[in-house]
Amino acid sequence: MIGYRSLEYKEFPLSIIVIATILSLIGLVVLNSISQGEYTGFINSPFNKQFVFLIPAVCISLIILFIPRYSIHKYSYPLYVIGIVMVLLPFSGSAHAGTYRWFNVPGSGFAVQPSEFSKVFTVLFLARYLSDHTLKMKQFTSIIIPIGLVMVPTMIVMNQPDLGTAIVMMTPVLPMLYWSGAKPFYLFLIIAPIFSMLTAFQTLSFTIWAIILGGVILISRPTLLMSILLFFGNIFLGLLSPYAWNSLTPYQQNRITTFLNPEKDPLGAAYQIIQSKTAIGSGGLFGKGWGEGTQTHLKFLPVQESDFILSVIGEEMGFFMIAVVLILVAYFIIQIIKRSFLSKDRFSSLALIGIASILLAHVFVNTAMTVGLIPVKGLPFPFISAGGSFLMTSYLMVGLVLKLSVNYTD
Amino acid sequence: MLKADNIVSIRQYYLAVFITIILITILTARFFQLQILDYDQYSKKANSNRIRKVTTSAPRGLILDRNGQILVDNLPTYILNAVPGELSNKGQTFKLISKLVNYDSLALSKSYGRYYRGRFIPTRIAKDLTFDQISRLEENRLNIEGVYYQIFPERYFPSTVNASHILGYVREVDKGIRQSLNNPTQYELGDIIGWSGLEKKYENYLKGKHGIQFYQVDAYGREAGYVSDFPPRNPEPGRNIITTIDLDIQYSLENIMEGKKGVILIGSPETGEILGAVSKPDFRPDIFTGRILTDDWNDLLLDPGKPLVNRFNQGLYPPGSIVKMITGAVLLDHQDFDPHLTQDCVGAYQFGDRVFGCWLEQGHGKVDLTSAITQSCDVYFYRTIHYYDLDKLSKYFKKFGFGALTDVDIEGESKGIVPTTDYMNKRYGRFGWSTGALLNFSIGQGEILVTPIQVLNYTNILASKGITSKPHFVMSEILNKNKDSLLPAEDWDRITFDMEQVVIHPKGTGKSANPLVNGANVYGKTGTAENPHGEDHAWFIGWLDFLENKYSIVVLLENAGSGGAIAAPIARQVFNDIIDLNSLAAK
Repeated sequence: MIGYRSLEYKEFPLSIIVIATILSLIGLVVLNSISQGEYTGFINSPFNKQFVFLIPAVCISLIILFIPRYSIHKYSYPLYVIGIVMVLLPFSGSAHAGTYRWFNVPGSGFAVQPSEFSKVFTVLFLARYLSDHTLKMKQFTSIIIPIGLVMVPTMIVMNQPDLGTAIVMMTPVLPMLYWSGAKPFYLFLIIAPIFSMLTAFQTLSFTIWAIILGGVILISRPTLLMSILLFFGNIFLGLLSPYAWNSLTPYQQNRITTFLNPEKDPLGAAYQIIQSKTAIGSGGLFGKGWGEGTQTHLKFLPVQESDFILSVIGEEMGFFMIAVVLILVAYFIIQIIKRSFLSKDRFSSLALIGIASILLAHVFVNTAMTVGLIPVKGLPFPFISAGGSFLMTSYLMVGLVLKLSVNYTD
Repeated sequence: MLKADNIVSIRQYYLAVFITIILITILTARFFQLQILDYDQYSKKANSNRIRKVTTSAPRGLILDRNGQILVDNLPTYILNAVPGELSNKGQTFKLISKLVNYDSLALSKSYGRYYRGRFIPTRIAKDLTFDQISRLEENRLNIEGVYYQIFPERYFPSTVNASHILGYVREVDKGIRQSLNNPTQYELGDIIGWSGLEKKYENYLKGKHGIQFYQVDAYGREAGYVSDFPPRNPEPGRNIITTIDLDIQYSLENIMEGKKGVILIGSPETGEILGAVSKPDFRPDIFTGRILTDDWNDLLLDPGKPLVNRFNQGLYPPGSIVKMITGAVLLDHQDFDPHLTQDCVGAYQFGDRVFGCWLEQGHGKVDLTSAITQSCDVYFYRTIHYYDLDKLSKYFKKFGFGALTDVDIEGESKGIVPTTDYMNKRYGRFGWSTGALLNFSIGQGEILVTPIQVLNYTNILASKGITSKPHFVMSEILNKNKDSLLPAEDWDRITFDMEQVVIHPKGTGKSANPLVNGANVYGKTGTAENPHGEDHAWFIGWLDFLENKYSIVVLLENAGSGGAIAAPIARQVFNDIIDLNSLAAK
């Protein structure tokens, strides 16, 4: 049962709390710079808003600490269903800027993004599914069912449409399957066709991909027929995709690129990236100083309080602070992975690696976007970006990490 | 349930940590590349490629009179903005500017503090500069880095009238005002916003839409052209509004009322259009534009004549005898009432233990309804109160629009008071008042309070025999006319006859309102309202029939004396001016 008696202090992951606090504080400092004299009304200032939302967020993580682990395990199936209902809720309301990502909480004036919470529920669900079933993970078919179950909320989110969150929702599946003993080769089989199609638009990337593909097949030694099918099937798919693409009308192509890149604004996503890179690059080693970022305060930087908040840090506090943030985040995630490895039961272990994957996906997609490594995707940076729903989700994950990473005597 | 053991191997753990480290390292390396290796390139780009977003103010819509003459116009002036982040030495720059344009440098800093919103947002430091002053600044362009000028359309009043309570005034949006708005994004600090009168009521029509331009500026802050990525948005001027005001009539009213305290309203009885409205004392409307001096503002605020108060809209007055037509209509509603039956007026009337006097101390002698209205006899109405009760009388007052807002299109209207049994019980207690209150009420005294705009509405109803629209200041075709004529046709004929007698009968109290011009028929009623603030208020209401045109009039002079002696002659002056204007137009 729960209680401090059974809790071994030595194991308590204090670093998780410390890093979450430091990152939140950095976020507040940056948001305060953005908020200077800009906004009217208390709650319209991103700083105030974030500050206010920290209270329920911390409360959530504290509440999690007092929920018995077996209850989390027990209710993870109902939570999965609740998660699906939640991502359907926004469709009952009116569209926000043409999307159904936000749900207006009746009478409160606040809007929440249910998909943020839903992805954590999905991880818990998958952790229980994979730990309950003594699945023969060495078989290819037994990894298809969990993927299919996660696809349900993912497809709904994709139709909101919110590709970024859908990607994050799918991300934990591969590491969790890997964690529960699935053969890496099978996991590779699943993602190989996606890479084949994506790399096919450029000769160099496609060549590299073909070499990797051949290498993996060589190492894992499937049957000859399987190897031939896999290799040439993928190459064939890759070669076909440009033709398939070209056979589409420009209108259809546009529909697809807009879907893949919904944040495309009238000024062009490339423009946002240029502004972000200019802000970061001109920050130098120690930055221009708090509140002194010209790119930030002249409003060249789009959505600076959430998606592009790292660009503000880069401009005003320089590479030094960026490195601090990234090292802290890396340490944070590695700590969770370590706890997952040390965990005694499989459910906790799987839930922890799932949470680590979600956080890593957020960090990587958000950061890679701000420095122009990947196309613009609207994903916030954990603990730092403004946004009530994701802040609460982040602290929900902190609560789960604290709860699940301590081995109780029960 | 939680029995399943963890089966993760150390190899799996290392792989997961390895992938995490690889991904974070890629990101860190990218930042290193951008911020350390390419720092010079991006730093140069950030400095040379500054784009400044400049909003240009849209001129407000014009306010026109009914004939298209301009009452409120815009005058282009120059304002000076400073970008805080680009001011290298604020004190020195301000000192130089104040020397160049002969402007108090303290005023510059004050304005700067008022409009400051952020380090890179243009902040207004001076306004109402002339082209000459701007030229002198332009010559010293390089010494006043971070300061820019802009054209700003200021409110301007080209006409000869004040019309201050109709037009109202505008204010500059400051931080406090901006926070109180429910659409703050549509305003920037320093914009002008309608703050009273028509400027406020029709703010959404008059207000234009900002233009936005993006300038590329070099390190000296010199504009290096537009930015092609952002197409400029031109400002959209606000829409004009056409008022029902007749500039000539308004001019005449303001002249006649000069130096007096009170209200004159001129309306068109059938349409409810207001042709002229003056509330004196008033103020020059342009006092609020430009650099309003605190002294001027304080003078207005502290003036005992309260020039800022809109008397025709907000002022509450006892109506006195001008409401006797309503009491007459209530009497006529009773089947036993005979309008020809005379009552004896000896100058006073004993009711219970109180004596209610008539305004004419020696008494009117024998009076019937017509002569009671013509000579404004009070005792006649005291002696006939047994034909109705308090609530019936208030019902009729409400029929004629008293005790309710007229919904005139200028804000701040008062509702007034029409006493009912409920009201009296609430105010004085169940047994705290007697029928004596009804005696007062019957001659428009006591608890009843009205606004001049309600009285204009009432006058319009009388003049149009009930078929009119609510009084309004802006041309509109959507106002509904009152379809219910309220009273039987013979009552209306009687009222019209009686009101004509007031002006043409030798004993009529309003005979000095008669312009005595061929073809001009005047109908009216005087009122002398006792009030606790001193001398009686003088009322005259009525209408002029001239060349197929009808003009309703309300004259109120605060604490000036009797309606017949003071208000009626003023009404005649107004009628004479209107007749002159009409003859002028006919020629």
